[in-house]
Parts: sequence; structure tokens; C-alpha cells
Amino acid sequence: MTDYSSIETTLSPTDQAIDLASNVWKRFKRHRGAIAGAIVFGILIVLTVLAFLSPFDPEKSDLQDKFQAPSASHILGTDALGRDLLTRILYGGRISLAVGGIAVAIALLIGVPIGALAGYYGGTVDSILMRFTDAFLSLPPFLVLIFLAAILREVNIPFFQRNSVLTISFVIGILSWMTFARLVRAAFLTLREMDYVSAARALGSSDSRIILGHILPNGIGVVIVEATLQLGYAIIQEAGLSFLGFGIQQPTPSWGNLINTAQDHFIKYPWLAVFPGLMIFLTIISVNYIGDGLRDAFDPYKVLETVGEYT
Amino acid sequence: MFTKSRTLLFLTFMVITILVLASCGPAPVSTPTGEAAPSEPPGNTVPTVETNKNITMVIAEDPPSFNPIVSDTGYDALVMELVMLGMTDIDPSGNIFPELAAELPTIENGGVVLDEKAGTMSVTWKMRNDIQWQDGVPVTADDVMFTWNAISDPTNGSWIHGSDYIDSVEKVDQYSFTVNYSSIYPGYLTQFGGEQLAIWPAHYCKADQGFVAWDCGRQPLSDGPFTLKEWVEGDHMTFEKNSNFYQAGKPEIEGVVIRIVPDAAVRKTMMMNGDADIDMWINVNTINDLKDSTTAKVSLSPTDRWVMRLFMNEAAKGTIDSTATPHPILSDVRVRQAIRMAVDVDTINKQVFYGLAHPVWTELFRPPYVCDVPRPTFDPEAAKALLEQAGWKDTDGDGVRECHGCGTAKDGYKMEMQFNTYAEYGEPLELTQQLIAEMLGNVGIKMNISVVEGSVLWDLAENGGIEQSGNFDIDLWDDGYAGIDPTEYLSEAYSKEAMTPGKGWNFFRWNNPAVDALIGETYTLDEQTRKDTFCAIADFINEEVPEIHLFTVPNADAYSARLEGVQSSVNDLVTWNIADWKIK
Amino acid sequence: MATYILRRLIQTIGLLFLLSIILFALVNLAPGGPLSAFGGKRIRPEKIGILKRQFGLDQPLPAQYIYWLAGNDWTQIDTDGNGIKDASGVRKGILRGDFGFSYRTRQPVLQEIGKRLPNTITLMGITMLVALAIAIPLGIFSAIKQYSVFDFLATTFSFAGQAVPEFWLGLLLILIFYAWLKNPWTGEPLLPPGGMFSLEGGFSVTDRISHLVLPVLTGALGWVAWYSRFLRSSLLEILPQNYLRSARARGLPERRVIYRHALSNAMIPIVTLLALDLPYIFTGAVLIETIFAWPGMGRLYYQAAVERDYPLLMAVLIIGAAFIILSNLLADILYAYLDPRVRYE
Repeated sequence: MTDYSSIETTLSPTDQAIDLASNVWKRFKRHRGAIAGAIVFGILIVLTVLAFLSPFDPEKSDLQDKFQAPSASHILGTDALGRDLLTRILYGGRISLAVGGIAVAIALLIGVPIGALAGYYGGTVDSILMRFTDAFLSLPPFLVLIFLAAILREVNIPFFQRNSVLTISFVIGILSWMTFARLVRAAFLTLREMDYVSAARALGSSDSRIILGHILPNGIGVVIVEATLQLGYAIIQEAGLSFLGFGIQQPTPSWGNLINTAQDHFIKYPWLAVFPGLMIFLTIISVNYIGDGLRDAFDPYKVLETVGEYT
Repeated sequence: MFTKSRTLLFLTFMVITILVLASCGPAPVSTPTGEAAPSEPPGNTVPTVETNKNITMVIAEDPPSFNPIVSDTGYDALVMELVMLGMTDIDPSGNIFPELAAELPTIENGGVVLDEKAGTMSVTWKMRNDIQWQDGVPVTADDVMFTWNAISDPTNGSWIHGSDYIDSVEKVDQYSFTVNYSSIYPGYLTQFGGEQLAIWPAHYCKADQGFVAWDCGRQPLSDGPFTLKEWVEGDHMTFEKNSNFYQAGKPEIEGVVIRIVPDAAVRKTMMMNGDADIDMWINVNTINDLKDSTTAKVSLSPTDRWVMRLFMNEAAKGTIDSTATPHPILSDVRVRQAIRMAVDVDTINKQVFYGLAHPVWTELFRPPYVCDVPRPTFDPEAAKALLEQAGWKDTDGDGVRECHGCGTAKDGYKMEMQFNTYAEYGEPLELTQQLIAEMLGNVGIKMNISVVEGSVLWDLAENGGIEQSGNFDIDLWDDGYAGIDPTEYLSEAYSKEAMTPGKGWNFFRWNNPAVDALIGETYTLDEQTRKDTFCAIADFINEEVPEIHLFTVPNADAYSARLEGVQSSVNDLVTWNIADWKIK
Repeated sequence: MATYILRRLIQTIGLLFLLSIILFALVNLAPGGPLSAFGGKRIRPEKIGILKRQFGLDQPLPAQYIYWLAGNDWTQIDTDGNGIKDASGVRKGILRGDFGFSYRTRQPVLQEIGKRLPNTITLMGITMLVALAIAIPLGIFSAIKQYSVFDFLATTFSFAGQAVPEFWLGLLLILIFYAWLKNPWTGEPLLPPGGMFSLEGGFSVTDRISHLVLPVLTGALGWVAWYSRFLRSSLLEILPQNYLRSARARGLPERRVIYRHALSNAMIPIVTLLALDLPYIFTGAVLIETIFAWPGMGRLYYQAAVERDYPLLMAVLIIGAAFIILSNLLADILYAYLDPRVRYE
């Protein structure tokens, strides 16, 4: 469906990559929503990183000051133990963004190699890996997520303590790598037939060099776009798990568990639930805009994004 | 070549399919008796009633059945109280009153016969002869026999408290039966009643379906104040008045609707809006929110049963023998005393429980067994001094003490421990845990907070249950004895035998031979001896601090202002006296 | 085509078999075990022992799997716990359509599912239709008027739809439409807080609709975003293509070019997408059903997961997986059927 004959194949892969990057940046800049999204997202990250500058402690109670409405001293008010909500939201942002980032990283680490190997080698390798992918794809996603979170919160092994960031990210990541595998496979199926790949092969490049050096850089666009979208998805998933009581555990704040504990006070002190929800909203909408901008920016290289799913 | 028509055709097909499926969706009415009832209970059809004579209860989930012994979720007991009777029941103050029984069997009225020499007893129950099932069949000793046989059936039966002490149950005549015990069992009065067990109809339930699975457990034949009319799972249950109820003129309420509303915030809003009349088991935040409501009121139970407390493990984490492998920190009684002095119960009560909790400092705080144990003082300075004295000092200035000649651990061992509570209780308990961790942090004890699922905390050791396998330092949760008799509770919490996983709940692994001896003395029907022995045990607990009692958590239910007679009870579900409720 | 479908169906069976082993192992090896939910704070080994036998959990795991898969009516089991096999089993196994009974209610699992499924189909079906009804025009107009203010607003709206945690939105909507806003004439809350219908006043269409408004809107938002974005981008891909240029060159009015020629092709991926989303009609939406007290499959599953009701849990997962696999097959077939350029060997 997409026409790849326009891809300049005489350039060396490195030149191509540089060229690609600068072109992408050029086109990305034109997408105003994406720029706005990038700015908002950047500010969010800076704020959460700088959360330690807050004069308030995110975990220490201040019982004289509980349930304060938003005011000059507590911009977003305080919670049931008198802790500053803004501070907790910023610290919570670290956790939520970390969950998103780690979950996507796990998904990439599983999905990209599987997709690359399947697409590059084809044949038996391809069908084994794709049946494996199909098996994961045929699990009802949120149902399995709930179930895995429910069991994993009961194991307590190093790095995977109950309801730790790593556990939750792992559960989300292990159920969301399949799209990456499929996208990368589709890209490899097309790209491995390109002249420059055949040329590299003829020149005796090893498979790993062709995969990592020649094909992957050209298929990376679609992976990046998908990764941005998955980041937002993971943050929402964590919030949903928290709502059901399977998320990150207090007193470590995350946006999800902040909303969850605020439920009890939803009627009297709605801001406790509204502000963390707005933060999720803001993050995901800006991430989506970035993803949209990147999609447009990578467009000429967009690899069978729709067709790849169904053929 | 374009495919518009095909696309449209497909879309139309989809739309029609979905609409057809949707329209045959929720059946507006489905009578439970019509589905799988072994025999149709002759419903006493009441003509359509005015809606304001009905009340609406909102609960979080469906009861699994009307038979609480099978799953014990609380919701089953709630609906059981609407339709079923037991031999006895317990009122909010802990008094046992007869339901199917004509009177309570005692030694004085000859109902209880002791064989002091053999250490056995037998109890003869006399039943009322004026109670009928909704189909007019009288409730008799045959029903009791049927129920007991169903429970004790090895294939499909279940377990009730004290059933191990029962040798046999014998029918005496139509309205009386005798229970023979292999030992003295002080809890005999509530064994065939209370919030757990109802007597089931022998002529209606199918014996071969088995106690735990029989259909009459889900489509019960009523001898209680209401009859089940309809049950749409996950959505609602409707009940109507049992016109055959044995108490004349009762119930006053014409009908009960139970709606399943999973989200607590939504239930609370429905109470405030006047769309619900009962919301059971509300937490302190809801109690506080409804304080000023004109539509909803809160009923607190007059006595509370559940005591929030800190369980301290005297055996090293992961072990169950406090003598061979003592806990590096908690095996020193001075440390446990210091922890007790460092926790400010009043502040927790005021800040998290809105002052609705009642500080207690012993298990035996409620009638009929009240022991005079002095209240421990909150004194963080004294706690610090005691910790210093016990050899726990902070020399590296990081705010956490280390062992310097403490006697229970190597020098330099950090005073740092795991601190668990359970998730299901919700926000107030999590806040309590965070405050306690802070208070202990202030005296130099570092607590690492963890919130786990209750079932994991309390599971059997073979399944990795945290407490049974001793895999904890300090736990926080609410415990207490059921009913009015602490005998079994004390034995199962403090005896040496109860230290073994599966034999009891001595997960403090508190080993005191003197207490073991006292526990043996409580198995008697001599009230004065029992009381003195209980208090002697309470004194030991107070001195050696295997656990720290903090406060009783309020047991409360919300009810609408138009209802009268609602009384929350810690001994039963709020529906225990629904026959007496009135609508203003 | 027929051989292709046959091959896929055989693959499906293999895949389901594999999944059943993985899921069964995962479920049964999970720490805690199904009986912990029955114990409460003071779990009784006596009671657990009885339950273990009643549920067949005293058997070794491979035997449990075989009994679950193929039943145990061909073998003798110990029913009373004395160690002697005294009666033949009664289970038929899922291969013969017996998914066992729910630990919680002791009712047949399929009966439990049957009670919830119609409710979920209603909610999710209507949600899907509403989502499509909004998404299709939205997608078309933003594609035609690319980079216009409308496009910008539509884009923002659909991104917003994907960015809102649905349970959070649901609670907010209940707060607004049930707790705060009142009908100015009757003083009643504007919309009910949940449930499928009112119990008073009998059946009425308005009553049904009023109960559907909030859950459907909450649920549709994400789908609107998803479908409209998808339609927009597939239209944008098609609009510059040659055949449309030639249609325009033949002098066909733009409206006709778009609706007759472009849209019908752009709808192909949407239709397949729709087919891929069909399993949600079975699995439901846990969060929405929880907030809006809708007695559907999602809540049934969630309760089973929390209470470790393994037979129910396994049944929903396996049937859900079967639905997903079959929907994938359906999507592929539809795609081939609708788009003549795709052919299967």
C-alpha cells in the first residue's frame, strides 16, 4: 500500500539516519500541537524532577493542616494527613511516569527483538515467534492485567516487592509488547528486501549488523510513535489498577493511588481526586500530541502501519 | 471496483445484531423460584405495595447464597437474617435471645446436664411450636436434625464452631432435641444460631444436593420476617413481607429491595440523596460525612468487638519458635513496652477516626468480662529511655537506633522492621499505619510499610500465609472474639499449642507456661472462676506485651432518617432486628 | 479461502489448548490459593480441608488440569476425606461444555456467565454504536478539513477522550449529574447513579435510556477517539490517490467523490477494527461496570479474580480468548471480503 520506491537507497545507513532525524525534526516543528505537547510534557518532567525543592515532605504528616482547600500556602490543598497535595502529586508524577517509562521499555525489550527476528529470518522462526505473539494477543488485556497484578502483589522477591514500581511496570509491559513485535516485523519484512540491505548482505555484513545497523534505524519511526502512545496507555493502566486496589502502594504516591485514596473524600474534598486526574489527563494528552506530531514527521517512512496488522 | 454496498451491508448487519442482542438483554423480571427451585414455595402474594413502605439497602456485592457458613462474606448473613431463623440470636449488647428456641437451656432449668466426672455435657433444646415455614409446614426438630446431618456430612458438609465437641444430636420429640458434647463447651448457646447458622427446611431442601450447594440456599423457603421474591444477580434482590411470620403484626415494613452498588462513594451519595435506606459497614470517613446529613443517619453499635492492635513477632522473622530463634529486636520485653509507650492512640483516634474509636488496652474490656488493667501511658521520652536501657542507641546519627549491647542481636544491628497491614479496610487503616510508622520513627525505630491482601496475611502456613508462617515483624489489624465468650479465643491466641501453624493463632509466638495453665482453667461453667482466670491472663498480657491493643474500631451502618429502630450490632448484621423496624 | 479458514480454525484450537495450559498453570500456581478467601481473619484448617476436597484441590495439579479439561466421571474419587476412593466423579470437563461450578456461589459457571452476558452485550453494544455514530462524522470532517479549526478541535477532543481515566471521569459524572445537578421541575437528580433500570414504575424506555447515558458516554469516549483518529488517517491516505483524482477529473462533484468513493474504501479498516473490538462485548468493561453498578461480565470477572474463584476466572479467560481469536479471524476474512486487493492462499 505504501510506496517505498521513493526511499533513497544509495545513501549509507548512517547518512540516512542523520538525514532522517533532521527531516523528522523539521516536520515535527511544523506540528503546533506536538510542539505544545512537548513543551507541556517537558515542564511536567522538570517539575517532577524538581519536586524535592518543595518545602513540604511528601510523606510526613502535618495533622494541624489536614484537608486544607487550595490556598496560597498549599496551592492544591492538603490531604487527610495534612500533606501538601501539590508535593505529593509531583512525587507521584515521578512514580507514574516511571511506571509508564519502564513499562514501555520492557515492552520494547521484548517486542522489538521478537519482531526483528521474525521479520528478518521469516520462515519457521517467523511462524514460531508470531504464534507466540498471537497467544499473547488473544488474552483479554485488562482482565489478564488485573489477574497478574492480583497474583504478583502477593509475591515478594528481590526487585519485585509487592506493588512496587517495577512489579506494576512489569505487569503492564509484559502485556503490551505485542504491537511492537508486529510493527517491527512488518517493517523488517519490507525493509529486508531493499537493495541496500541486499548490498550489505552481499558485502558480507553479519546478520546482527544488518539488523541493528541497517534495518532497525529505518524502521524506528513507527516504533517511536507507538512507544509514545504506549507511555500514556501505561499511565492510565496504572491508575485503573490503583482504582481496583492493585496499584502502587501508599505512602509512596502515584497519580493512580492518589485518586484511589481520595475516593473516600470525593464529595467533601473533591480536589483531592480532581487534581491527580487532571495531571494524568494533561500528561497523556501532551504525549498523544507528541505521538501525533512524530507520526506526521515520520510519515514518508511509515511502514504498513495499517496493513501490517491484518495481513 | 469499490465495495461500498458490502461495507454498508456489513455495518447494517452489525447494528441489527447488536440491537437484537441488546433488546433481549436484561430480563425485566425473573422469579428465582421459577428457575431451579426443587419445588415451588407457595408464595404468599402480596398485592402491589406502596413504594414508600419499601426500603432499599445498598451493598457492594451479591451474597453468594443465604447460607453464611459456606462463604461467610457478611452479605450472606445480611440476607439470611431477612428470611431465616436460628435457635438463638445475639443482640447488640451481647445478650443471647431465643428465636426458634422456646427458652435458653441452662443448668438451672435442666436444659444442660453436666457429667463432671467424664467432663462431658448434654444440652436439650425445647423449640417453639408456633413457627411455620412460609408454606405452612411447622418448623420442628426434624429440621434441626436435617440441618445438623447436612453440616456434618463428610462429603458436602461444612464446619461450625465447636462442632468437633459434638458427639451426637438426637431428636427427643417433635419440638425438642438433645446435643451430646464430648467436653464442656461454654459456647453451646449460639451454636445453632447467631449470625452464622440458620435451621433449614427438611421438606424443601434436597439432601442429596449437599449442604454447601443445595438450591434452597439460594432460593430459600422463609420462616423469617421476609420472603425472597426476585434475585437478579449483580443488580438487585427484592423481598416482601412474610404474612405468616410468627410475631404478630410484624414486620412493619412491606418490602425490602437490595441493590448491588460496588462503589462506596456512590453508595454514600445515594444515602445522602435519600435514594437508599441502609448502607452497611460504613467506614469512619462516611460516618463523618453523614454527620450533618438530614436524609441519612448513622447507627453505631453500643459495644465494639474489633480491637485494632499491633501484633509483635517474638520469633525471628520467618521462624515460629521464639525460644530457639528469638526475634533480634522484639524478643526483648522492654522493646515491646517502649513501642507501646511511643504510640499515641488518642492522636490516631482524633485525626483518623474522628474521635469515634474507643481506646482500649486489654482484650477483656467488654461485658460480661471486664478486667481492671491500668491504661498504658503515651510517653515517647520514656520510650526512648527504655530503648537506651535495652541497649538500642543511635550512635551514627541517622535517626535509627542500632544494637549496642542489646542482648538480642549483634552489635550494630539496625532497629528496622517490616510493618504490615491489610488492604481491604481502606484508607483509615492505611493512614493509621503511616502515623504509627512516623511515631515509631520519632523514637528511632524505622518501620518499612507494606499493605497486603488480608487473605495473604491470614492464610495457612502451607499456602504462605504471612502470620502463620511467622514471616513478619509487626502487623496491624483488628481482631477480637465473637459473641460474649472469649474462652476459645484466648486458648487459640495465647497457648503454647497455638504457636504451631494450623493449631491456632499465637503468631506472637508468645510462650508463657503460666498462661497455658490458666487457659486450661477457663473450660468450666463456673462464672466466677472464669472471670478471675480471664483477668489473670489479661494481666500477663499487659506485663509481657505480646501485642499492643490500640482502640476498638467503630462498627456502624448508615440508615435513612425515615427509618426507626435500626440498631447496628457488632454481634450480627444490621438486619438482625429488621422485623422491628418502622417507617416514619 | 475455505482452506485458509480451515487452517486458521485448526490453529485456533491449538492456540486455545496452549493458552489453557498456560492460564491453568498461572492461575493454580499463584501464591495464596483459592481457599484463602474463605477463611477470613481466623482461617480454620478444618474448614479448608473440607473445601479442598469439595473443590478437588486435593488432587495433584496435572490431575486437576485433566479433570478440568476432560472431566472426572470416568474415574473414582474420594468424597468424604477418608482416603478411600468411594464414588465416581461428576465433572464432564470443559471439552464437553462443563466449566465446573463457581467456588463462591456453587452454581454452574456457565449459568453465572449467562446471567451477566446479556447485560454486558447491552452496555457494550450500545456504547459501540454510539461511539461509531460520533466517530464517523468526526473522522470524515477532520479529514476533509485537515488542519482547520474543526480538525484541531476534533483532534483535541479525541486525544482528550483517550487521556481521561474512565473511572475518574465516571465518578466525576456521577458527582455532577447525580449529586449536584437537579431536574429544575421535579427536584430529582438529573440522572441515576447506576444500575440498569429503576425498580419502581415498571419498564420504560426513558428509564432505560437514563440509566445508560452516563456509562455509555464514559465508555464511548475512548472508542470515539480511537475510531475517529483511525478514520481520519485512513481517509487522508486515500484522498490523494489516483482513482479519486480521475473521478474528480471526470467532473464528479466533490461530495460524491468523498462519500461514494473515498469513504467506502476508508471504511474497510474501520470495519475490521470493529470486528477486532467485538470481544469487548463479551468481556465487558470492569471499571465502568464497577462505578455504574452495571451487573456485567467485567464485574463478574473482577470479583472472581479478587475472590480467587478459579473455575469462573478460567472460564471467562478461555472464552474471552476464544472470542478474541475468532474475532481476529473474522476481521481477516472481512478484510479479504471487503477489499478485493487482498487475497489469501
